[in-house]
Amino acid sequence: MVDWEIKVGGAAGQGVQTVSEILSLMLKRSGYYVFSLEDYQSRIRGGHTFTHIRLSDRPVWAAKRYLDLLVCLDPLTYQLHHHEVKENGLILGNFGLGEKSTDSHRFISIDFEKEAVQLGNKVFANMIAVGAISSILGLAPELVAAYIEKIFAKKGEEVMEKNKLAFQRGRRIVGIPPVLPTRNSMPNDVPQFLLDGNQALGLGALLAGCTFYSAYPMTPSTGIMNFLASKIREYGIVVEQAEDEIAAVNMALGASYAGARAMTGTSGGGFCLMVEGLGLAAMTEVPIVVINGQRPGPSTGLPTRTSQADLAFVIHAGHDEFPRFVFAPRDPQDAINIVRRAFYLAEKYQVPVIILSDQYLADSKVSYWNLEMEEIPDAPIQASDFSDYCRYALTPSGVSPRAIPGGKALVVVDSDEHDECGHLTEDLDVRVAMHEKRMKKWEAMKKEIRLPFLVEGKEVTLLGWGSSWGVLREAREELHEEGIDAGLVHFNELWPLPGGLREFLEGLPFPIVVENNYWGQLANLLEHETGLSFARRITRYDGRPFLVDELCERVKEVLRNVQSV
Amino acid sequence: MSNPFEQEGVEIAWCPGCGNFGILKALKETLFELGYEPHKVVLVSGIGQAAKLPHYLKVNVFNGLHGRSIPVAFAIKTVNPELLVIAESGDGCMYGEGGNHLLHAIRRNPDITVVVHDNQVYGLTKGQASPTSEEGFFSKVQTLGNLSTPFNPLSLAIAQDASFVARGFSGDIEGLKKILKEALSWKGFALVDVLQPCVTFNRVNTYGWYKERVYYLGENHDPSNRFQAFEKSLEWGERIPLGIFYTHRKPTYQEKFYTQIPRSHLLYQGTLSEESVAREFQLLV
Ligand SMILES: Cc1ncc(C[n+]2csc(CCOP(=O)(O)OP(=O)(O)O)c2C)c(N)n1
Ligand SMILES: [Mg+2]
Repeated sequence: MVDWEIKVGGAAGQGVQTVSEILSLMLKRSGYYVFSLEDYQSRIRGGHTFTHIRLSDRPVWAAKRYLDLLVCLDPLTYQLHHHEVKENGLILGNFGLGEKSTDSHRFISIDFEKEAVQLGNKVFANMIAVGAISSILGLAPELVAAYIEKIFAKKGEEVMEKNKLAFQRGRRIVGIPPVLPTRNSMPNDVPQFLLDGNQALGLGALLAGCTFYSAYPMTPSTGIMNFLASKIREYGIVVEQAEDEIAAVNMALGASYAGARAMTGTSGGGFCLMVEGLGLAAMTEVPIVVINGQRPGPSTGLPTRTSQADLAFVIHAGHDEFPRFVFAPRDPQDAINIVRRAFYLAEKYQVPVIILSDQYLADSKVSYWNLEMEEIPDAPIQASDFSDYCRYALTPSGVSPRAIPGGKALVVVDSDEHDECGHLTEDLDVRVAMHEKRMKKWEAMKKEIRLPFLVEGKEVTLLGWGSSWGVLREAREELHEEGIDAGLVHFNELWPLPGGLREFLEGLPFPIVVENNYWGQLANLLEHETGLSFARRITRYDGRPFLVDELCERVKEVLRNVQSV
Repeated sequence: MSNPFEQEGVEIAWCPGCGNFGILKALKETLFELGYEPHKVVLVSGIGQAAKLPHYLKVNVFNGLHGRSIPVAFAIKTVNPELLVIAESGDGCMYGEGGNHLLHAIRRNPDITVVVHDNQVYGLTKGQASPTSEEGFFSKVQTLGNLSTPFNPLSLAIAQDASFVARGFSGDIEGLKKILKEALSWKGFALVDVLQPCVTFNRVNTYGWYKERVYYLGENHDPSNRFQAFEKSLEWGERIPLGIFYTHRKPTYQEKFYTQIPRSHLLYQGTLSEESVAREFQLLV
């Protein structure tokens, strides 16, 4: 069985991300399952950036720390990562003067930039690396060359030819036979899909019939806007770059009021600016989907790194009280369905739905044999052709028939407290009735929420939410293989919490909550909501995601500490 | 025929004699005289005394947040270009809290009209200086007299090449209606700043004060001449010009979008099928 970890590092501007894009796709087309994650800095040139690709014969959901192949486009990569290479692992590239620390690694010294300069420009360094790596991995040269041709076709014959030459040069100079068995591509007999979280969120929106996306650029959510903008012509969707996040959320609300399915996306700081708009959505009962791609903060924080620290914020964000849904997709496949469901529930209950993504989910690619589309009903807008229409008519459920402007019904919505017809009021009895109408939706909303994913274990139970899914799932399996009977509880629907949660969680053996934040926000929430104790927490807040083997070590450490007490 | 925009039996929350009444009357009559039907019109407003106006007409209403009417209006017009979309609010709302949106709406040139009730004061919050208050204006907050100089909305809009720039006076309803007719019929972003006496909090810029000063731009004013328009926009004090200062017809946001995207509107038309996922990912596999 093949199960390899590869890291390719270099300075920003050396084209590491292009290497990642080409390799992960070519590996998938060669029949491997792939998982990749991107680690980069908030700069355009210099510094250090890397891509981590895992390839395997079986589906993979996360990365592991120890590497089979390290590719250094610059000496800094060697310095920073050589200690992560496994015994007998391979290190390829430019080590500079960095001493070779151990005899247990195999070294292939290639100065990619120097080779590239011989081809006329150092920009070809990354394509030389693609050549070298693809040769080591046994990928079919025609396959990769054809793809390089395709992606550089837009840039003209000369650029394309040079890049192909660079690729071939890389294959030649690597100097060792393929380490992995050579592969031919069989287009139908390989995983069919490869996508990252941002593409998946955008795709989910398109499938849901979203026709309006307004946003202000902010890592890690900009990719959603890029993806949707690339589909404007095909699908007839407005993608408007707003002047700020306040405009973005208000535009989305205007669009939704007018009858479009509308979404906006941002990261924590931008979400802060949107909060008044979130309340507006709640008060006017105009449906909206808001994606918050988390990154570490507070404030600007670490713009390009990952975090799960906005949970406590988004479930309460806004003044006064109002019902909302908060979801957190587990992986790209889940993101597609979560966004589709978000649109459906936003319209069914006429409430805001917040989706918590993060840099790790946004930028990580996962391959799938097939994508599974959940059956999701449609919540169509009610007819708008009656003339004595009142937008906020009181109903037993608290949800009033929704019309859009343009038909005979006049649609009056107001951010002030309003009467049934939407007109501003300071009649406090009406206020009470209206507040209760909005709050009443909560009980039915709770019933929509599904219990978390559960695998029972006898010795220890890992708990987590959102993008940690892949890591926790693999860590549980690995612990199992090591003889520790581990279970898993994982949430992708976080607010409201489902009914019956206390019964569900009670008696789980040795729970440990794993989160990318300092407090353990899910743990706190569960304690608060269920009255149970979740004192054991594994947290990480350095801006990087958990890796499978590292997490297993930390779980075992917690177990050891208990035994030694 | 009675005016279908007439809203029966509402209690209006403005002070007796407020300049807002003139704007309400002018707008209601203009909409009727232009032959619009209430269900094809959307009034978008922010928060303030001025922003309550949509409730006093029979139309579709989006009374949103303080300062945020323009992004909402932009989106409504984009999603459904068949609607007549008007954003209206006070000077504090449009030039203060929401000033950034005004700047960028001019750049987008959406086919909407923005009517600003410019009473040079924050009415609803009881008399603080607004962006257009005169230097030296005293209030409970501006106890030293306003230390800032006033914002000039017309100069700004003309400098930014806004498609339609005008100023009216709520004390002259017929004159204001003429301007509103042009503004609502204009294809493109139209800004109408309306001088509006605040009888409670602005004891300087009263009806009398305005009446002594305002005059309409005459025959010899050429609205297509940007320099002349800009020069006129600087005139303030002894004499205050009213009328259409500047016009520049250029493609609207909606025209530019819909000539490239062949759909008449973006109203929700149902979810996409699974085949489209497969097709989509031909690009990625
Ligand atoms: C975010 C926010 N900040 C402040 C306020 C309080 N506020 C309401 S209206 C207003 C100013 C009103 O001035 P203007 O827009 O000129 O309207 P006017 O009352 O003069 O017609 C303010 C500051 C608010 N409602 N929302
Ligand atoms: Mg005012």
